[in-house]
Amino acid sequence: MSTETPAIEIHQLARKYGNTDAVNGLTLSVRAGQCYGFFGRNGAGKTTTIRCLLNLLKPTSGSVRVFGLDPARDEVAVKRRLAYVPDQVAFYPWMTVAQTLEYLASFRDRWNQQTQRELLDRFRLDPAKKVDGLSKGQKTQLALIGAICPEPDLLILDEPTSGLDPIVRREFIQTIIGAYQETAPGRRTVFVSTHLISEFEGLIDQFTIIENGRAALTLEADAAREKYKKIRARFAGEPPRIDVPGILNLRRVGRDLEIVANGASDEIIHRLNAHAPESVSTEALTLEDIFLVSLK
Amino acid sequence: MLLQINFKSGKPAYLQLVDQVKAAVASGGLRAGDSLPGIRPLAEDLRLNRNTVAKAYAELESQGVIETAPGKGCFVAGNNSPLKKEVRIKMLSDEIDAAIVQAHHLQIADDQFLDLVRKRLDYFQQQNDKHASL
Repeated sequence: MSTETPAIEIHQLARKYGNTDAVNGLTLSVRAGQCYGFFGRNGAGKTTTIRCLLNLLKPTSGSVRVFGLDPARDEVAVKRRLAYVPDQVAFYPWMTVAQTLEYLASFRDRWNQQTQRELLDRFRLDPAKKVDGLSKGQKTQLALIGAICPEPDLLILDEPTSGLDPIVRREFIQTIIGAYQETAPGRRTVFVSTHLISEFEGLIDQFTIIENGRAALTLEADAAREKYKKIRARFAGEPPRIDVPGILNLRRVGRDLEIVANGASDEIIHRLNAHAPESVSTEALTLEDIFLVSLK
Repeated sequence: MLLQINFKSGKPAYLQLVDQVKAAVASGGLRAGDSLPGIRPLAEDLRLNRNTVAKAYAELESQGVIETAPGKGCFVAGNNSPLKKEVRIKMLSDEIDAAIVQAHHLQIADDQFLDLVRKRLDYFQQQNDKHASL
């Protein structure tokens, strides 16, 4: 493992609203250069956590560090190096697309004009158009362009695709992350919160599932797909009863048996083979399936 | 060459890419000097993270399958594995051992196994001939 300072380090973070625990003992660490998924259902504590990273909220207890710094103490140093796109984006309605980007650029040390032109072109956004007249999807595209042109070391996206057309959203998140990583891949870290996981399947290096304010599961995506398996077997007669720790779900329909397992798939297949199945097949669960079974 | 990723296979995406490129080279679909797609367009095409494609290309390069020409991208290398012959034979033996173990558990007899190996070698040769005649 690299000894480099993590882009984000959250340790035992807790944040209460009155008597309600929004975040309650969350720990996670994001390496520089990773694309990190922060998965959880609505109300699991995702936005509260992000607000603590941005010093928009003070933790009740525990700590957050961004690039090794405390965002409450070194707010400017932290914000200089990151960009954040909230789930609801807002702009000055009277400005045009070009004026909005110029305005955003005025707060930044650096601004990649070429990336701006390329993405306005890709998304067919007219620079002369008033922001007021943009669709919700176009406003999100504008916010994403504004976030990556300053070439931040960390890009924090909070539900970037919710409420958008399902066909376009996959493509444009891919385009944005591709453009973002292009300039200096090792230093471009993405932290994306979402409950629409299938759109991020191939993009995620590592993820944390947050539930009731704490980490329910943290894994590298490849390791997760290797561990969580769906095993199907068909038998000549009634399927056997098998009991192996690691079975999350078991369905028997006629001569078919379907098992969802967390690890232990070799052991399960070994046991199944002892009952002379007609066929056995295995497939990995997608990250979305893993999310669903872990929250059962 | 058409690369594709199947997340349900359980095999890491970067390894799927490595294996597909190696298979294409072995069957003549890709030849020495052919260029590979750039990292960013391929990542966008396959809906992968750039890191994943970069990792696959780095792995292919370390195995001597491809070469990087600065500013020009990646190309299929000539037959010049950087590894010594003994090492290469050892690596292949390990793979063959795994196939032998599989054969045992699938109740495939030795002569059937050897027959199958010949058939697969023929298949790759045919693919090569087909690509050469194009």
